[in-house]
Amino acid sequence: MSQTFNLPDVGEGLTEAEIVSWHVSTGDSVEVNDVICEIETAKSLVELPVPFSGTVKELMVREGETIEVGQPLIRISAADSGAEESPSATDLTTAEPQTGSAAAESSNKAPAEDEQKSAGRAENADEEQNQALVGSGPKADAPKARARTRPADLDLIDISDLDLPPGSDQPAGRSVSRAGLGGRSAAEMVRAATPPVRALAKRFGLDVAQLVGTGPDGRITRDDVETQAHHASDRVSGTEAVSLYEGPREEQVRVRGVRKATALNVAASASEVPHVSVFKEVDVTRTMELRSALRSDPSYQNLNVSPMLFAAQAIIRAARKNPQVNATWHESHYTLCNYVNLGIAAATPRGLVVPVIHDAHAYTPQGLAAAITALTSDAREGKTTPAQMQGGTISITNIGSLGLDFGTPILPPGQASIVVLGAVRTKPWIVEGQVVPRQIMTVGGSFDHRLIDGDLAGAFISDVASVMEEPGLLIT
Amino acid sequence: MSGVELADPVPVQLLAEDGTFTEHPTFSRFIEGLDGEALRGLYRHMVLERRFDTEATSLQRQGMLALWVPALGQEAAQTGAIAALDSKDRVFPTYREHAMALYRGIKPEELMGMFRATRHTGWNPHTYNFNGYSVVLASQVMHAVGWAMGIKQDVATGALKEGRAENEIVLACLGDGATSQGDAHESMVFASSYGLPVLYFIQNNHWAISVPQQTQSRTPLAHRAAGYGFEGIRVDGNDVLATYAVTQYMAEQMRAGAGPKLVEAVTYRMGAHTTADDPTKYRSQDELEVWKRRDPIARYRTWLEAQSVLDAETAQEVDQEAAELAKDLRTAVHSMESVPLERVFDTVYAEPHRQVEVEKAWLKDYEAGFAEEGRVADQ
Repeated sequence: MSQTFNLPDVGEGLTEAEIVSWHVSTGDSVEVNDVICEIETAKSLVELPVPFSGTVKELMVREGETIEVGQPLIRISAADSGAEESPSATDLTTAEPQTGSAAAESSNKAPAEDEQKSAGRAENADEEQNQALVGSGPKADAPKARARTRPADLDLIDISDLDLPPGSDQPAGRSVSRAGLGGRSAAEMVRAATPPVRALAKRFGLDVAQLVGTGPDGRITRDDVETQAHHASDRVSGTEAVSLYEGPREEQVRVRGVRKATALNVAASASEVPHVSVFKEVDVTRTMELRSALRSDPSYQNLNVSPMLFAAQAIIRAARKNPQVNATWHESHYTLCNYVNLGIAAATPRGLVVPVIHDAHAYTPQGLAAAITALTSDAREGKTTPAQMQGGTISITNIGSLGLDFGTPILPPGQASIVVLGAVRTKPWIVEGQVVPRQIMTVGGSFDHRLIDGDLAGAFISDVASVMEEPGLLIT
Repeated sequence: MSGVELADPVPVQLLAEDGTFTEHPTFSRFIEGLDGEALRGLYRHMVLERRFDTEATSLQRQGMLALWVPALGQEAAQTGAIAALDSKDRVFPTYREHAMALYRGIKPEELMGMFRATRHTGWNPHTYNFNGYSVVLASQVMHAVGWAMGIKQDVATGALKEGRAENEIVLACLGDGATSQGDAHESMVFASSYGLPVLYFIQNNHWAISVPQQTQSRTPLAHRAAGYGFEGIRVDGNDVLATYAVTQYMAEQMRAGAGPKLVEAVTYRMGAHTTADDPTKYRSQDELEVWKRRDPIARYRTWLEAQSVLDAETAQEVDQEAAELAKDLRTAVHSMESVPLERVFDTVYAEPHRQVEVEKAWLKDYEAGFAEEGRVADQ
């Protein structure tokens, strides 16, 4: 009869250990508590005392090997039952475990299987008496076990003071509880306001679920409750106000996502960067004619051919002539970029995003048209990735699509120039002394005045404008 | 209140490292009453506990205990203090007072419940006047103060329960690490303010897990007592006789109504903080060697043998008894039955409690999630 000592958890919650060195060999006799090996866990080096006495039959792990808690370490044959094991039986118990089907196929192996089974039973019988907490017991794999099903989240927080409708006192995630709480689950509600604040709201007769928190992480503060209570009392005290539109008199709206990012960016940019803006009215009639031509060209099929496309190419060309507009200011120096990563500002349902076409100067006209088309449609669908918004060197914003003519955009962080395009309008224009209707657009921009003076800004915008006026320049 | 003198930073010692005895003008008289049998009893108890302790460490290494907290090296401090008390004096232990627990008669299977994770506390504190082990540092010293306040109130109102004595004192055990806890401070303020019979017994074993004693306090811990207005004494905690004498000296005055006192027993934790700790990571072998030479059992045995109080045959009998105790412990641990986990919820509060009920139901649900896997494992 032999007994197997499985690797125990010698610390608190350890899962594995390396066998550093064996202090015994096969054939050695050991007494209870003799040190058999040294192991190293995540916490410490530990000498392991053996729980049985007898003769070492097998070291089941090599030095340097790491095994999981619960895996067999050493096999000891019992000291007080030395006669029961024949040599063949020993061989059998150390043999590779056979699968049931393999043993059944080969009838001459059947006795071997029986022996093995009985040896296994004997082992289990020993180990049931010596059941270890972790590791050596018959359920040695317990630490690795995972629950098949997960019970609902533990609900330990008393929310009876929230006066929720019946059924709301449910674990987070149930739609029924969210419905009654303005989109918040009961658990979120409890997190959103501390019990004293909830008690205060209750005293004022306010529904805490209707309040918007202005505290950290949207927590509802004492001030939020008192402000709301103040408004409520105003209404009650007679001067019944007329609403501008249907809804509460004032509403606190949480700032998040793109709105928050935009706010941080423009605030930083506007306070750090001295902006300067210039504008020029341009006759873009030829550009609009070329645009019509390209729209019927098969190679531009399904591509959005807009004044933006021409402006983008004009900007690339003008940046080549005026490198300092395509740069980043760093106080002690500035970086000139010998490439154009073109940011394109897009109004999306989520807010303003500025995806970037990297190395825009390397694109063919069709390629650029395709890139602008894809980028703007991604942006509108909210699919723009953070990586697509990084690394811009110069940007363009088309306020013309909003029906506007002039605008002074705030520079995106790290960029020195942003070009603004106004709407294309048919206006009376004097050509060769005659008043004629022409298609006119404003081209302007904002610039980092630390880097770009008015003359450079003017030269750059004039270069952009001249291409918009005469797109044939693009092939020069 | 009159001023209290600072404790002598040199610990009181009767037995030196080499086992030689030196008379002390104040403390020698307290050991005069110990006859040969009592002296041998102290030795026997320390040897038994040490063997018990090493067996428990082995059992933990074999996966039979969740954790063990060795008291190796602190046998004299614990034995000297507990032997100096009356059996009615209530003890509020930390989680390392094994010598004290065994001295009070707590059985191996009772002591091991917590370490095998089958019980919160394996014994009835009222049976042994020995409270449950407290794992939360310094919580027990506040319980001790509360118990002492109870004694004082009972005496004052004449409501002393049957079997209790008017002059009982309370032993509040703590370690050097726990002295940094706010709870320890607060309890000393209360004990002093109310003149309570609490004897603070600090085993300064030099290491609060990996934090050295010098970090806990720039002055001897016994000096702190003066700040609260009561007496503190430093004693060599590896000298069982000195610890016994100093504890007796303090207890004698406290029974006469002297209020709280503090003993700092200077000792050393020879083993790991717990079996989950590896002390070689933070302390030197040289330091360990110094303290090996100060071993509490070796020096006491040398002295006993020199006094002809202990002969080789008796010593062998003690060793044999220790081996039996280790065997009993092994058997006890192996035969401990695990309790259904649900039961731990039933002893948290005396009355039904919503939170506990919710947790219990959750656990049951969670455990049920393993059912399918359990069947697979059994095949």
